Amino acid sequence: MALPPNISETEFASALNEFVGAVGPDWVFSSDADVALYRDSYSPLWGEEEERIASAAVAPANVEEVQQIVRIANRYRIPLYPISTGRNLTYGGAAPNLSGSVVLDLKRMNRIIEVNDKRNYALVEPGVSYFDLYNYITERGLKVMLDIPDPGWGSPIGNSLDHGVGYTVGPYRDHFGSHIGLEIVSAEGELIRTGAGAVPGSDAWQDFHYGVGPSIDGLFAQSNFGIVTKMGVKLMPMPETFMTGTVTVPRYQDLQAMIEEVNYLEDSLLVGMPWYGSPAGRGLFDPATNADLMQNGWPSVEQLEEFVSAQNKPAWSVTFQFYGPEEVVRATWTAVQRRFRDKFSGAAFEEEDFYNLPIPDEDIPALPDKVRLGIPSLEIFHIVNRNPMNDNDPPDGHADMFAMAPRTAEGVHTAARVIAEAFQELDFPAATHPFSTPVTYYSRAFIVGVVVPTWRDPAKNAAMRALYERCLDKIAEQGMGTYRTNLAFQDHAVSKYSFNDNALLKFQEKLKDGIDPNGIISPGRYGIWPANMRNNRG
Amino acid sequence: MRKLTILCFLLVSLLGTAQAQELSPTEASGKVVFDKWCEPCHGRIAGGVFGGFGAHALPGTSALGVKYKGDLPAVLEDRVDLQPIYIRTIVRNGLYGMPITRKTEVSDADLDNIIAYLTRNQ
Ligand SMILES: Cc1cc2nc3c(=O)[nH]c(=O)nc-3n(C[C@H](O)[C@H](O)[C@H](O)COP(=O)(O)OP(=O)(O)OC[C@H]3O[C@@H](n4cnc5c(N)ncnc54)[C@H](O)[C@@H]3O)c2cc1C
Ligand code: HEC
Repeated sequence: MALPPNISETEFASALNEFVGAVGPDWVFSSDADVALYRDSYSPLWGEEEERIASAAVAPANVEEVQQIVRIANRYRIPLYPISTGRNLTYGGAAPNLSGSVVLDLKRMNRIIEVNDKRNYALVEPGVSYFDLYNYITERGLKVMLDIPDPGWGSPIGNSLDHGVGYTVGPYRDHFGSHIGLEIVSAEGELIRTGAGAVPGSDAWQDFHYGVGPSIDGLFAQSNFGIVTKMGVKLMPMPETFMTGTVTVPRYQDLQAMIEEVNYLEDSLLVGMPWYGSPAGRGLFDPATNADLMQNGWPSVEQLEEFVSAQNKPAWSVTFQFYGPEEVVRATWTAVQRRFRDKFSGAAFEEEDFYNLPIPDEDIPALPDKVRLGIPSLEIFHIVNRNPMNDNDPPDGHADMFAMAPRTAEGVHTAARVIAEAFQELDFPAATHPFSTPVTYYSRAFIVGVVVPTWRDPAKNAAMRALYERCLDKIAEQGMGTYRTNLAFQDHAVSKYSFNDNALLKFQEKLKDGIDPNGIISPGRYGIWPANMRNNRG
Repeated sequence: MRKLTILCFLLVSLLGTAQAQELSPTEASGKVVFDKWCEPCHGRIAGGVFGGFGAHALPGTSALGVKYKGDLPAVLEDRVDLQPIYIRTIVRNGLYGMPITRKTEVSDADLDNIIAYLTRNQ
C-alpha cells in the first residue's frame, strides 16, 4: 500500500478513519485493488517506480464534505488530488502528480444546477459529464449548443480546468476561456465564489465574470490552488443551420497568404473552426512515402512545388464551419469565396455539408464528426484503438505532443521540421512533414502535434519518453512551448517557460506558499511544488 | 440512471430484435448501465466494423471486428462465450485503448448487473 509522503501507517489509518467519518465507509477507497482504479490507463510510466500511484481515494457527495476532507488533510498534511470525471486520458487519467496523494474523486457531485437558454449558460458541478449535460439539454428541448472535446465522458469542469478544447466557434472552443464564474473550496477549506457570484444574492453570477478587483479564476486551471466545486459555462444559442465549405489553393507557397486570410475570417468571428489540410500531401501519412520525400533532409521550396505538381492536387485546403441562420451562412460562404478568388489564382471551392439544427434524433447515430455539432460520443477512440493498420500490436494508450506555433506558415513548417528531426534523431520514422497542417483548437494559436503511443511495457515507454522530451526540447529551441502534457512531462514542459530566470514559476510558487501553506492541493501540478517539496521537481 | 438518447435510437433502429428479448430485472438493470458506460464504444454499428479513419465508427466494436475477423461477433452483446471473471478483469484493468473504469462510475453492483446482461444467453 502506498502512503502519503512523510506519513506513518498509523497516522494514515487514522486519517482514513476521519475521511470515513466525513463521507461514509462506501466512499473511501483504500484497498490496493480499489486504489489501482486510479492509475493512468495510458501512463507512459506504467509499471515503473516513477508511475504516479495514489494512496487512497475519497469521493464526497457535496461541498460540505469537500470542506471537511480539506480540513482533515490539512491537519495530517496529506496531499489531495481533486479530479472531476477523471477521464484525462493522455494527460494523466485519474492519477495524481505526486505518488501517495489521496485522489479526491468528485464524480458523485453530479448536479446540473441550471441550464438557461435565454441568457445562454449552464451551471454545473464537477461530476457532470458532457453526456449528462447534453442529455439534460435535449430532454428539455433547450435551445443551446455545447462545445465539447472529443470524448463525451469528460466534464465541463475537469476539461476546462486542464485548458481543454473543442470544435465549434472561436470563443467557445477554449473551454476555460468560456467558463463564467467559479465556486472554489480553498486549500484552507474556505468557500469562495468569483465574479458576480461574490455578491450575496446575485442573479448575475453567470453573466458577469469580473466582479471588481483582480480576477483570480485563472489560478485554478492547470494548477493547485484550490478545488473547484461549481462552474458556469457560456453556451452558444442553438444555431439555425450548420454548413461547411472547403477552399483549396494550388501552390506550396500559397500557405502564408491562405493563413492570413483565415486569420482575418476567424478574428472577425465570421467563421467557426477552420480545418487545414493538404490534398497534395495526403499520402504522406504513410511513413514510407514520407521517408522518400525527406530522404535528403527537408526539401527545398522548389522541390516541394514539384512534388505538388506531380500529385496533381492542390497544395492546401481549408474547410470552414459556418453556424447561423441559412441566409447568413450562405452569404458568408459567398463572401469567403470572393475574398479567396480575389487573392489567389487557382483557388477552388466546394460546398459540403448543410444541416438544419438541431439534428433529428434518428439521424444522429450515423452522423460523422458529431463533435463539431456539440453531440458527445466516444467515437474518437477508434482512431487509436486496434485497427487494420496496427492489428498485431495496438498501443495501450497515447501521449499527445503539441507545439504551440505562431499563426504563420513559417511557424507551422518550423514546428513540423523540428518534430520530424526529433523522430529521425531517435530512429523513429518521421510523423510530420512539409505538408503537416496546424489544428486551430485555440482560435489565436496553431497547434502542430503528433500522437505518441504509450504501452504497458516499460522498455517501449522509455523510448517513447525520450522521443517526447526530445520533441519538447527541439520546439523550445525554436521558441515554442506546449499547451498541456502528461504528468510525466509537466516539469519538463514548464521548464521551457523560463523567461527571466523562471520569473513566472517563481511567482506561482510564492502564491502557492501563501495560498496553500501546507502544500496539500495537487503538489507538482504543472511544475508548481510546495516549499517543502521543491526537490521533487523532475 | 439517465440513458443516452442517441444510444436509445441506435438500439431502437438497429437492434429491434434484441429489444424484444425478455430480460430478468438484473439483466435489464445491467443493460441500462451497459448502455451508458459501454455502448458508446461497443454498440452495434451499421455497415461493417471499421469504416476507416474519420468515419462514424464505434471503437470497441471496430477493434473486436479487426481482432477476431468474424470468428467471434464484433458486438459484445452478441457474444455467448464471455466469462464473468474476464469481463470484470477487463472493466477494472482496461485492455489496450479501453481504459480502467472506476467504482464511482460503475459500482461493483452495477458491474455484476452488466455481467448478468452480457452472459444472459449462456
Ligand atoms: C482519443 C482522445 C481524444 C481526446 N480529445 C480531446 C479533445 O478534443 N479536447 C480536449 O480538451 N481533450 C481531449 N482529450 C483529453 C481528455 O480526455 C479530455 O480533455 C477530458 O475531458 C479530460 O478529462 P476530464 O474532463 O474527466 O477531466 P478530469 O480528469 O476530471 O480533470 C483534469 C485535471 O484537472 C484538474 N481538476 C479536475 N477537476 C478539478 C477540480 N474540481 N478542482 C481542481 N482541479 C481539478 C485535475 O488536475 C485533473 O487531473 C482526448 C483524449 C483522448 C484519449
Ligand atoms: C473507450 C471505448 C470503450 C469503452 C467505453 C468500453 N470498451 Fe470494452 N473494449 C474497447 C476496445 C477498443 C476493446 C478491444 C481491445 C483490443 O484491441 O483487444 C475492448 C474490449 C473489451 C472486452 C474484451 C473482449 C475480448 O474478446 O477480448 C470486454 C469484455 C469489454 N471490452 C467490456 C467492456 C464493458 C463491460 C464496458 C463498459 C463497462 C466497456 N468494455 C467499455 C473499448 C471500450
